Amino acid sequence: MKNKLTMIIVGIILIFFVSLLHSEKISNTKHNLSVSGPGTVKAASESEICIFCHTPHAAAKTPLWNRTDPGQTFTLYSSSTTNATIGQPDGASLMCLSCHDGTIALGSVVSRTSAISFGSVTTMPAGNTNLTKNMTNDHPVSFVYNSALATADGQLQQPASITPPVSLYNTKVQCTSCHNPHENTSIKFLVASSQNSALCVSCHNRTYWSSSTHKTSTKTWNGTSPNPWFHTPWTTVTTNACESCHNPHNAGAVRNMNYAAEESNCLSCHNGNVASTNIQTQLNKTYKHNVAGYTGVHDPTEANIAVTQHVECVDCHNGHASNANAASAPNVKGSLLGVKGVDTDGNNVDPSQYEYQICYKCHSSSSWRPGSPTTRQIAQNNVRLEFDPANPSFHPVESAGPNPNVPSLISPWTTTSKVYCSDCHASDGTSVPKGPHGSTYAQILVKQYVRVDNTSESAANYALCYTCHSRTSILGDNSFREHNKHIVGEGSNCNICHDPHGISSTQGNSTNNSNLINFNTAVVSPSSSGILRFDDQGLYHGRCYLTCHGQNHNPYTY
Amino acid sequence: MKLFKLFLVLSLVVFFTSSNSGLAVITGSAHDFSGQSWNTSGEICLPCHTPHNASATNKPLWNHAVTTASFTVYTNGTIQATIGQPDGSSKLCLSCHDGTVALENFGSTTTGTHFLTSADPEFLGTDLSNDHPVSFTYNTALSTSDGELYDPAVKEVGAAGSGTIQNRWLESDKMQCSSCHDVHNTPGIAKMLRKSNAASALCLTCHNK
Ligand code: HEC
Ligand code: HEC
Ligand code: HEC
Ligand code: HEC
Repeated sequence: MKNKLTMIIVGIILIFFVSLLHSEKISNTKHNLSVSGPGTVKAASESEICIFCHTPHAAAKTPLWNRTDPGQTFTLYSSSTTNATIGQPDGASLMCLSCHDGTIALGSVVSRTSAISFGSVTTMPAGNTNLTKNMTNDHPVSFVYNSALATADGQLQQPASITPPVSLYNTKVQCTSCHNPHENTSIKFLVASSQNSALCVSCHNRTYWSSSTHKTSTKTWNGTSPNPWFHTPWTTVTTNACESCHNPHNAGAVRNMNYAAEESNCLSCHNGNVASTNIQTQLNKTYKHNVAGYTGVHDPTEANIAVTQHVECVDCHNGHASNANAASAPNVKGSLLGVKGVDTDGNNVDPSQYEYQICYKCHSSSSWRPGSPTTRQIAQNNVRLEFDPANPSFHPVESAGPNPNVPSLISPWTTTSKVYCSDCHASDGTSVPKGPHGSTYAQILVKQYVRVDNTSESAANYALCYTCHSRTSILGDNSFREHNKHIVGEGSNCNICHDPHGISSTQGNSTNNSNLINFNTAVVSPSSSGILRFDDQGLYHGRCYLTCHGQNHNPYTY
Repeated sequence: MKLFKLFLVLSLVVFFTSSNSGLAVITGSAHDFSGQSWNTSGEICLPCHTPHNASATNKPLWNHAVTTASFTVYTNGTIQATIGQPDGSSKLCLSCHDGTVALENFGSTTTGTHFLTSADPEFLGTDLSNDHPVSFTYNTALSTSDGELYDPAVKEVGAAGSGTIQNRWLESDKMQCSSCHDVHNTPGIAKMLRKSNAASALCLTCHNK
């Protein structure tokens, strides 16, 4: 009898170890809610592992489900870009929520008359694992993902090509499409690794993504707080991929963005802590595209001509597309790939092929477009009209300029060159990231361009113009033979006579408005006979009717 | 088969003559109906077995009326097995546990009045969709296609040498009530389980989760 007892005890001990060996999958995970579980949220003494979810008999529903559904109405995910019809959680998702919505006691199971004790814990403690009844900040679940959806969205894999470990359930995306509650061989019970967003791209097939720097960069974080990758264990841009900006649960904003403030999603890396381009410093300057000034206004579905005044990084950049590809004016560079715009005729384009098309979204016919800083004889602040190639004169943004004689141009510039808006409008300083992010100079100009009357001429004061137009040539009177007299002698700045963008053909003509002539009426007034006009009289010849600095030209001919 | 019948008859005889029998654990268990009012025979084995005039179609020496109910079986999109109507010994269990056949309908009794009802925790009813599936083939192929089941031909039910799931717990390769339960309560474990389910050891013998 004694012997038999010892045998039984030895047997039980052996069985115990063998069962440990065989239960390595769930038993070492936080879903082992039994007293043997590795987590902190677990039963006080219950040893069964499966019981928290399954019972062999009298189950609430398949699969032998041992819990009651949350009788809750969930606030569902919704966004302006969602094509799917998202319903109240059902299927496996509802089962997950019977713990993860935080409303049902963790130990409350159908097969027991009283709830299994979790010590001091009753329902899911607050934190990341408690999704609450608010599902707006979680990746949507319980919606049909069929080929019609893939087609409507345009940037989803066809469901037929979705293969295990990622699965749809009765054609629907459920929590279990991404999570396997029994196994934590990856992290967070994911069915596949989230490294490089492998899991995300099994469904999401974003246009441009394959050649985006946000997909390929191996840059790391320099360790300065805050951690841009606060919800993943990955340490490079490429391994974080989608999750550098998106957070599948408890997100900061719609579309599962990390942060509610749109620009924070970019600046968490573009602040010197990860990306080589520190945009944050530029945006701290006085004159800037004030992305921090707006929250919740931008919407990806908004009209190309922006209706409500705002600016966000994503108005000019597409995070899914951006890369370091070079281009020549006016073609968009890699940083501006995949952004919609407005073309020279005011028509919508998507994507923009030329950089200026992006600028025209706000700086052409939007109702709130910024005004001009100079009061001119011909007023125009629709930049698209100012650069129209049909204009009597314009800086060569859309096409090469109309004037074949510009002797001041510094090589490599020629009269057939084109320039970007961002050649003049960009952050000032040396070794700063390109683009009109922020400048110490008004109008976000890349260099100084003094517009105050009676300025003493210097290379620095008109640095902007002198970048392309030789100071020696201008002051040497190579074209207009009175340049030196006006600029040096009178202290008149370039901006008094010239309108740097151009003069619309709807308002000016090639006689009176060649050579970007459009007077600043704050400084220039009509002549004694009441005329304010420039007449082009052939190469390097012309005639002015005006009064300026006390001088009456009525006319002055050269 | 002849040998088996002989063995059963012998063990029934042995049980009646020796209280030290290995089957003695049934005594006092939930399946010891000797003290039940409806069991006028006062015997333990008789409600289920008889050494004589046993049902020819239902082994082993079956004495109890067998259910003719049609069952709703377990279904789920994720299940790999093909679940059929209960057969084998499961059908014998359900002859009391589905609540359609009276407990005392054994031997010559056909008009019993004691039924398990939905008020009893032991009542499974004819809707088995909320019960662990039974009466399906659980073989190496199923374990492969499911991906999270142990191979029953290889996996042992306990310590090394304890025998495989296939040999010890399956009936002709089929999963039955008796895969989890020992109707005679031989191991003496609660709910007449074949193996204690502490730490879910029973479930995790087959499920590789
Ligand atoms: C509640 C019904 C029930 C009672 C009571 C019962 N049995 Fe059984 N018995 C079964 C069933 C069902 C099977 C076949 C399935 C199995 O083996 O689990 C079986 C099988 C057997 C077998 C053959 C297989 C084996 O396990 O060796 C023997 C021998 C046996 N019973 C003996 C007895 C004896 C002796 C008694 C009385 C002490 C008894 N049984 C009481 C239901 C019962
Ligand atoms: C002759 C009728 C009958 C048959 C056949 C029968 N059972 Fe039972 N069983 C009962 C009754 C009655 C009870 C409840 C006894 C009580 O109320 O304590 C019961 C109780 C049980 C229990 C609960 C044990 C406990 O400790 O709570 C289990 C498990 C069980 N049966 C399994 C089976 C299985 C498995 C089979 C087939 C292999 C089977 N029964 C066949 C009548 C039967
Ligand atoms: C997968 C294993 C498994 C199978 C197959 C299985 N059972 Fe069970 N059964 C259990 C476990 C485990 C319990 C104890 C549940 C608990 O304590 O919550 C149980 C409990 C029971 C009980 C007691 C219920 C109670 O609350 O007291 C009965 C009766 C029963 N089973 C009958 C059956 C019958 C009849 C079949 C076949 C149709 C069957 N079982 C098949 C595992 C199983
Ligand atoms: C004797 C082996 C065995 C034991 C013990 C066992 N199961 Fe099973 N179980 C199976 C098999 C085989 C299937 C069918 C799986 C399939 O077809 O994919 C199954 C199916 C299931 C299913 C349905 C899965 C689905 O996809 O719908 C659940 C849930 C389940 N078992 C839970 C349990 C629980 C809980 C226990 C312990 C109380 C348990 N099982 C004990 C063998 C077993």
